[in-house]
Amino acid sequence: MKSFFGRYLTMKREKIKYGFHRAWKMRTCYLFLLPYAALFITFFILPIATSIYYSFTYYNILEAPRFVGLQNYINLILQDEVFLTSVKNTFVIAVITGPVGYILSFLFAWFINELPRWLRTIAVVVFYAPSIAGNAFYIFSIIFRADAYGYLNSFLLQFGLIDAPLQWLLDPKYILGVVIVVILWMSMGTGFLSFVAGLQGVDRSMYEAGYVDGIRNRWQELYYITLPSMKPMLLFGAVMSITTAFNVCDVPRALAGYPSTDYAARTIVTHLFDYGFSRFEMGYASAIATVLFLVMILCNKVIQSVLRKVGT
Amino acid sequence: MSKKNAVRHIEQPKFKTRAEQLHFQAALRGEIEEEQPQLNVRKFLIGALAIFVILGIALGFTCYQIDKIGRMNEQIEQGLIEGTVGDEISIYMAVRVGIIAVAVLFGLYVLIKLCKPKRRKPNRSFWGDLCIYLVMGVIAVAMVFPLVFSVASSLKPLDELFRFPPRVFPQHVTLDNYSDLIVVLGQSWVPFSRYLVNTVFITLIGTFGHVVIASMAAFVLAKYDFPGGRLFFNVVVTALMFSGYVTGIPNYVIMSKMKMIDTYWAVILPAFAAPIGLFLMKQFMEGLPDALIEAAQIDGASQGRIFWTIVMPNVKPAWLTIIIFSVQNLWNTNASTVIYSESKKTLVYALQQIQAGGIARTGMAAAVTVIVMLVPISIFILSQSQILETMASSGLKE
Repeated sequence: MKSFFGRYLTMKREKIKYGFHRAWKMRTCYLFLLPYAALFITFFILPIATSIYYSFTYYNILEAPRFVGLQNYINLILQDEVFLTSVKNTFVIAVITGPVGYILSFLFAWFINELPRWLRTIAVVVFYAPSIAGNAFYIFSIIFRADAYGYLNSFLLQFGLIDAPLQWLLDPKYILGVVIVVILWMSMGTGFLSFVAGLQGVDRSMYEAGYVDGIRNRWQELYYITLPSMKPMLLFGAVMSITTAFNVCDVPRALAGYPSTDYAARTIVTHLFDYGFSRFEMGYASAIATVLFLVMILCNKVIQSVLRKVGT
Repeated sequence: MSKKNAVRHIEQPKFKTRAEQLHFQAALRGEIEEEQPQLNVRKFLIGALAIFVILGIALGFTCYQIDKIGRMNEQIEQGLIEGTVGDEISIYMAVRVGIIAVAVLFGLYVLIKLCKPKRRKPNRSFWGDLCIYLVMGVIAVAMVFPLVFSVASSLKPLDELFRFPPRVFPQHVTLDNYSDLIVVLGQSWVPFSRYLVNTVFITLIGTFGHVVIASMAAFVLAKYDFPGGRLFFNVVVTALMFSGYVTGIPNYVIMSKMKMIDTYWAVILPAFAAPIGLFLMKQFMEGLPDALIEAAQIDGASQGRIFWTIVMPNVKPAWLTIIIFSVQNLWNTNASTVIYSESKKTLVYALQQIQAGGIARTGMAAAVTVIVMLVPISIFILSQSQILETMASSGLKE
């Protein structure tokens, strides 16, 4: 038994030694990686580590952090009703805009794929423009304005569908819907570009082979040929759409106000923003960030395992 | 994924005779022209043209009538002429909508007929194409409407901005909103050019550093297998999901410890390490043949030399892409959490302050929106072919 452990340890040691040896031989590689790695660790890894640490403390920037154990998390779940509202809103937004935006951006990319080149370029610009147009979503505050001068209200009034202007951005009944529409409008982002480019790269002979093998319509072709060859792009697109779906913050803040009526448009990130940058309760805000972070990683794992099954 | 595997669930099409099957396969190989009902193209075009002209005249006439009635109604309301506000407008409206719908349908039909390839692709039905492109057309119009609308409302004079019922397009085009914007910016106690210089400085330095640093890292991650490299890349991919807000708070603390709050570096340094740039660059560099690097190594080139003279010139589309993503990101940054002194604020931040000025600044706010969105969209339009080339390699391999 002892000799087994002894041998195991020797093996491990040899392996580590070999690893070091290899690392020493490749030392210039680390030199190349160093500037990026240093910055990346400072601004991405370290913040997450400190955020996890701060989430167990009471910290208000002025005083040194004081360790409070799980108190932040307990308060978050048991006492903070607004947080639960924000979780609910975030999930409603994420569950609708994430999958819908993802599927729509794939379908649009797929449909425009067969257009002639010039038309495809126009279509790509049209669909991609909203997501890079800065704060162009501001224009929705005019479209959804609460008085009769708002475009939607005046349109509905003209056709007699409503008899008094609706408070689109003030009435808790509508706020979330409006926010979802605006986010969907902006959801053709980097993932969409990746799909468009990926579809161009699918091997043409696969389609012909599929036709010989008896694929009858475009949907079968999509499921059996196109999707399996697009898997890497689909995974990338999933990461991007999770990012946009969970990090909703600017749109509800700009449209529905901050805070919004009855917290109807409060998301986890606006809640975090409130505690972090308005009240400076960094410990509590870090707990929110940690929860959000865990949820996103979990979601990513689930989606990746689902996508692996597509078309096989 | 092998071809056989991909389609294994589907049965072979049923053929009654062997001859039929042979004919089908020959048609697939392109040896026999597929029989298709051929349209007489010239007749079709002439017909299409004629119908378009008729529709155009009808449309123009209806629009003219509607405007006339609208003007009359306005005059009646103002008491300039006698009469009552009529209901005719809604009838004309319905006619107009109907005509536009027919014209759009017909236009799409013609477009598909004209644009389709000589030999139709298999597995595509004409009516399926028509339905899909119709839906796509409607959605595209809906997508582009807010952008067009913001351009249109930035060109409206104040009285038209608050017109009831509102119109989409301005009747008297004016640049007043833009000149007002310049006046307002000129009155602020920090000159407007200062905001512009701030943003340009941040964008230039941030993008340049990002391209160099990220491609150095991407080069070794893509082309060399060294301990820890793959792990590092996986961490970067996970980091694609963090938004600035999640890491914002500890970042603020770290930056304040490093005395970087309220300096440009608070915006620039995190931008250097943006994960998306490294990710795209690495995926693109993996497509470069290894033989290229090996050949250079045999010729005695150092790693630095390989990077600068062999790899970098070969990944131009990728740099353009990450330059563009970085510029978009930095141009749109408002950095409101890390910069607070007025003279260091970015352009977007300053413009958003104007936008927040309430209802009296509606026109100016629209002008701001247009200015802010114009830069990234035009950069994208100019460089979209390179971007798409890079994005083709963006897939996440397991």
